[in-house]
Order: sequence, then C-alpha cells, then structure tokens
Amino acid sequence: MGYTGRKKEVSKSINLCWRNILSGIIIAVFVTTTCLDNMAMAQGKLKPVSEKEFKKGKEAYDKYCAVCHGEEGDGNGPLAHALYPKPRDFTKGQYKIRTNATGSLPTDADLIHVISVGIHGTSMIPWDILELDQIKSILPVLKSFSEAWQYREPESPITIGREVPSSQQSIARGKKLYEEKECWKCHGETGHGDGPSSYDLTDEWEIPIQAYDFTRASKFKGGATNKDIYLRFTTGLNGTPMPSFANELSDDDRWSLVHYVKSLAEQKEEHGHEE
Amino acid sequence: MNYIKNSRFLFSTCLLAMVILFSGVVQAHEEEKKPYVPRKVDIYEGFPDWYKGVFADNVGLKEGSGLFKDYYKPLFMNMYMYPGRHYEPPTRMDHSIFIEKERRDLCIRCHEGINTGAIEDWKTSAHYNPRKTPLIARKTKIIEDSIGKEISVVDCFDCHVDTEKKQIRLPTAGDCSECHARQVTEFASEKNHGRPNHIQTLESNVLVPWYQEAYKRGLGAGNAGCDMCHGATDKCDPCHTRHSFSAAEARRPQACMTCHMGPDHPDAESYGESKHGIIYELEEEHYNFDKPLAHVLVGEEYRTPTCQFCHMYQGGGTFTHNFVSKGIWRMGTVPPSNIEYESSLKDYPYGIKIIADKIDIHSDENLDKRDKWIELCSNCHSPRFAGGWLTQMDDYMFQAFKLTDQAQKILDDLIADDMLYPSPADRDIYPGGDWLADVLPAELLGDGVWNAFKKTGGKVPVIGPILGVYALFYQGDGNPTHIETSYAKMWFWYKLQGYKGYAHVQQDIMWWWGQSPMLQELGNIQTEAKRMRREAAIEQALAESGKSVSHSRGGSGDSKSLLSKLFDW
Repeated sequence: MGYTGRKKEVSKSINLCWRNILSGIIIAVFVTTTCLDNMAMAQGKLKPVSEKEFKKGKEAYDKYCAVCHGEEGDGNGPLAHALYPKPRDFTKGQYKIRTNATGSLPTDADLIHVISVGIHGTSMIPWDILELDQIKSILPVLKSFSEAWQYREPESPITIGREVPSSQQSIARGKKLYEEKECWKCHGETGHGDGPSSYDLTDEWEIPIQAYDFTRASKFKGGATNKDIYLRFTTGLNGTPMPSFANELSDDDRWSLVHYVKSLAEQKEEHGHEE
Repeated sequence: MNYIKNSRFLFSTCLLAMVILFSGVVQAHEEEKKPYVPRKVDIYEGFPDWYKGVFADNVGLKEGSGLFKDYYKPLFMNMYMYPGRHYEPPTRMDHSIFIEKERRDLCIRCHEGINTGAIEDWKTSAHYNPRKTPLIARKTKIIEDSIGKEISVVDCFDCHVDTEKKQIRLPTAGDCSECHARQVTEFASEKNHGRPNHIQTLESNVLVPWYQEAYKRGLGAGNAGCDMCHGATDKCDPCHTRHSFSAAEARRPQACMTCHMGPDHPDAESYGESKHGIIYELEEEHYNFDKPLAHVLVGEEYRTPTCQFCHMYQGGGTFTHNFVSKGIWRMGTVPPSNIEYESSLKDYPYGIKIIADKIDIHSDENLDKRDKWIELCSNCHSPRFAGGWLTQMDDYMFQAFKLTDQAQKILDDLIADDMLYPSPADRDIYPGGDWLADVLPAELLGDGVWNAFKKTGGKVPVIGPILGVYALFYQGDGNPTHIETSYAKMWFWYKLQGYKGYAHVQQDIMWWWGQSPMLQELGNIQTEAKRMRREAAIEQALAESGKSVSHSRGGSGDSKSLLSKLFDW
C-alpha cells in the first residue's frame, strides 16, 4: 500500500484582491478589539486540568476522535480524505454549532451536546456510546489544539426568545424575510440549496461548502428542532459563510424564518420527486 | 334439531381448534426460548484437511493460498477478493466499542456519511425490508422457520461482525449460509463435478506456477486481472452484488458477464450476439426477473433463455445454484477419449493427477446430461433440432481436437529431434521450474513430468494443454518459443472460443474466433516447423563444411548471444 501521510496544504499565495484586503481589515479590527477586551484576562482562561486527567482525555481522543480529526486536531486524520464534509479542524477554535453569539468559542455544554448527539448528514455519530465523564475528559484536549482558548472565553448562551407559533402568517412572514435577506442567494428560491452563489461557497479552510438543502427535512447539521434552527439563525455558523441574524432580525422574525424553512421540506413531500 | 346439532358440532370443533392453536402457541413460545445458535455451511466440506489449511484458513496477507503459498505474498486487494483466506480487519479505526455495545444504529449513522451509496443500496434490499414483497415475505418466513429466529431486519452488524472474535469481518458464502443454507449448499455441490467450477476458482488461480512467476518478476499487481474473477470461491456478491443482494439482479445474464467474457471464455460475446442474447436485449423489459426460475412461464416471461435459465437447470423443471452439473465438455479444453490420437495426446493426462482425465463424451453420465440439455432446449425447439445441434457441436469439437493432435505431433517431433529454437536448454526456466517438483509430489504431477522438472531444473519444453498455457501469461525472450505459443493459442483460445460459439449458437464466433484462427495457427506451426528444420539443415551443412554454427540445434547448449552468432556467420 502506497499510503503516505500528507500534510494539509495551506494556501500561501497572497492575492491582493479587494476581498482579501477587506477581510484583512475586518480580522485586524476584530483581533484588536478582542485583544483589548481580553488583555487583562489574557492568562488563565483555560481551566487547568491535571496532567493525569489530560492524559486520560487524550487517550480517549486518540482512540475515538483522531482517526478523523487527527492526532494534532488539524482535521487531517487517516480517514479524513474519505469524508465529506471534512472533519472539524480544531486548530482555529472555530465551531459551528453553538448557543452563544457569533464568533464566540463554544461553551462546554455546546461541545458536550455536539459530541453526544452527533452531526446529521456526516460521519460524526452520536458518541452517547461513551460515558459522560469520558466526553468531558476530551474537552481539554480539544481546547489544547487552538491558542484561541488561551486568550478568549466562551460567551454566555444567548437568551432564546419566546417562540412564535407556526401559522400561515408566520410562514408568509418568513418567506418575505427569506427573500429580503437574500437567503435564496445560497439556499435557492425553493430551498434546494442551489441558489446562484451556492456554487462558489467555501469555508474558512477554503474547502468547498454546500448551502443547506432545506428539503432534506431532518438533516440539519445542528439538529432539526425549531429551537436548533432558531439558534443557527441567531448564532451563525462560525467558519462558514452562514452569518448570524441576531442583530438584523427580531426574535419573532427569526422564529418566522424557522417555520418557513421547515415548510420547505413539507412542500417537497407534497410535490414528490422533482429531479 | 339439526340446527342445534350442527351448532354443537361447530362449537366443539372450534374448541378443539382453539386447544390445538393454543398448544401451538405454547410450543412456539418454548421454542423461542432456545438460544439462537447460527449454523453455517462449510463449502470446503469433503476436501482433505490440507486443502482447507491452504485455502480456507484465514492468514490475512501474511502468506499466499494453495500449495505455492510460500512463493508469493498476496496483493493488498486480495483481502477483498478472498475474504475467507486473506481478509484483515480494519486497523485505522477501532470498532470494538460499537461491537461490544452492539450499536447497530451507529454503524449506519457513521457510514451514511462515508459510504452513502452502500447504505442507500442496502435500504433497497430485502435485508432492510424482509417483507418487501409477498414473495420475499414468504421466503423470509421459510428462513425464520429454518433458523428458529425472527427476522425484522438484517443490518450491518449481522453480516459484518464476527461476534466471537469481536471484530469486523468481510462476509463469506459461509456467513451468508447462516440464513441461506440451501443456496450455499447447492453452490458448494459444484465441487463434486470437478474443475472448472466456482468453488475451486481460487485453486485454479494459484495452482498455476505463472501466478507466482508474476510476483517474482515484479509484475504482481497485474494479477488482479485474475483475482477479481477467481474469487468467486467463497463469495456470493459476484452475482448478487452488494449491498442490495438482489435475486432478480442475479437472474439477469449481465450478472455473469463481468467474468464470463474475453478470449479465455467469450460467453458474454457468444451468448450476447446470438439470437437468444439479441432477443433478450431487445425485449429485456418483458422478462420477469422477479420470479424464481422454476416458476418462470417460458415464452411468456422469458422469450429466450438466459445464462441462469440453462446453466442452473437440473432437469425435471428444477433449478439450483449448481451451474456445472450439466457440463460435458468442461471449458472445451479437456481432450475427449472418443477419438484416436497420433501425437503424445494419446498419453494425456500423462499421469498428472491435478488435471482432469480425458472425457468420454458418450459415457452414461454424459448422455444423461445431454438428455437434460435436450429437455431444456425442447421448451422451445423440437427435440430433433436440439439434439441435432448438440451432436453437431460434438463433431466440431472432435474435429478441433484432431487439428490439435496434428499440431501437437509437429511439436512432439521437433522436441524429439531437439530442434526447438531457442531450445529449452538455452532459455529461462519454466516458471517455478526449480521448485515445482519439490512442492508437488510425483503422485500429483505424474512421474514423467516430475522427473523432467527434477532432471532439467525446469528447462522443459511446453506443449499445449497443461504446461503451455504459460505462453499466454508470461512471455519473455523466446520463453517459450513462437511455435509453442502458437500451439497454446490454438488450444486455449481458438478451440475454446469456437466451442463457446457453437454452444451458445453464435455462428460468427464459432467460425472466425474458432475454426478459422485454429487453422491459421496450425498453418503457422507447420511453417515454423519447416523453417526450424531448414535452419537446422543449413547449420548441419555448414558444420560439415567446417564452419561451426551451433546455436540452433536445441540441446547443444551454446549460450552465445544472437548477435555474436550472427557475426559467426
């Protein structure tokens, strides 16, 4: 077998197009503000664990997680090449599925939740097969992979607004917002994930990424309950082009949007196969 | 009164029926309590222990298969071709936690993300839905009764987990037999008819020393071309492809065609281009492949026969998974005993025990087989027509073997006169020629061949049927010679191809891939022999006039390069 371990190729070419400059400025501003905010508490964000505890966690990580996520947490484990979507690279401290504000590190509860329920549509299974203590022991290992955990602290979970019940009105309102906020540009007019921008999307690792196809009903990566979807709209998916609408849309509007995108799956069932 | 009598009778009958039913329930309930112990069919049952030791026992990729197992290391992919012998469980991912906790759901969750196609395929299968159709439900019921276990779904865990060793396995026919015992037993019965059969395909693959020669020459990766078909030994998925494992799919002629094609067995070509095959192609959608063969309405549901319909037929309207029970001519490569031979073919098989004896085409056993063919063909044709065609095919084969006999006589004489060029003494040894006789005892190889190998260290001429097929696998530097290769082609390709053309009624293949090239090769052999004899005569004349040119005569042992020999001229 000619399998050779490959290092993930990092694109080093500097392309001075406006997009890069703009994102450079944004990152610079972001880093500066974050640093200023956190300067005073720069040390000791990470609760120290004993070497013994860490070792225990690393053993579990190596046994169950490293095959995909890599022993160094870079998302480049021996099975990574076979997977799509790619396993999370922990070295940037970017986590999609959270309950706190966009850009934040996830809370421990977020991490435990994702590990326990898995991510639909991917090979990330629900690791409820492990003891809770074992799952908890893995968290310091995940955090050790990225410096972000040394300088920042996860923000508190956001407050979830009271759910607007699903109704024809809320769905209609959601549909209007879907158009206004240009969700369709990526997710497509009918929610099939085939909007005009959907073909060129990449994530922060420059890996092509697909806009979610809402007609796939229960395959939402972060879970398919109304609350799960509401959280995605509110917290955004860090590291992906999916932004947070916490500031742009009111609570009620975000709930309306939840009901609308859920209704897209029902439409499919009514119309049967389209392709 | 009558009414009351009747109702009394009815009442007591009902009571009786209820008692019977109830006792049945109790009985069934007791049966359920018995722990489920899987029973498996041993496809190698009846083979000697040494045979199982080199073909059945799992050794992973550490060593090869068969008697020459120590002379090659299997290719990586061989673990998938021959799971029983060579599979090694995955090491990159430790699956033990899922096995210990029997988390069937997690197999699917994870692999849906990796091998989506395989999972979706399985979801279309009867394994996923054992009551998918009324027919499948009936079959499931039969399986449930025979194994004493209720089946709601057959999932990844049932086939891919070795619960004893607590590791992942790649299922073999033996594993499938846990539920499909009848089919696997039928399949295993092929071995009772001698090679060629599916059960001994692995044996046929590695018994030939040119298989190991490829590895020795650093050409092993090419052997996958052999391995992919010769792994039908202990697998069911060559026909019932994973993970839908459909019976209907395996009833289609295409199921056979990935292996049964090409110059060594052009079954796909000869059937596919015959009227039978063409009509099938044109009217495929009218064929009912959902039905078991025994229930097919001939004419209405199959306008022409398929590979399966003919080769699985056992007479009396029955069909089994034994494809070789009616085979008379085998692959068209074994000489018949019904004709007189001029050449050394009369001594065939030269005491060699690992190949078949000559076939008596008219033996009682073979005449019985012939009757079954005629019975089958008579579904559509008159028995006179069917019998006439088959008799004519026998005649074609007798003629073909007469032509072969002529060619072999020419080679026999050249060897006797030591006129092969390059002579066996001047060329590389026969593949494995230096160790073959150490591994295969004289009782298996026959005294003559065994002694020849021992005496010459493998520098033997290769004549046609047994040794000579080597010529078609690994050529090199006059080894073997052009004339020996021509003979091997005549034997193993053209006679065989012509036979397939005749048997599957494809006239063009019978003639242009069979009779015509056979005659062409015979012509080549005759011409080549004349040339060799002429050259030998010229050398002789030159030698007598004082100019010694000693490279042509076989055994004279001069190993000068061809160029330097030319300069001598």
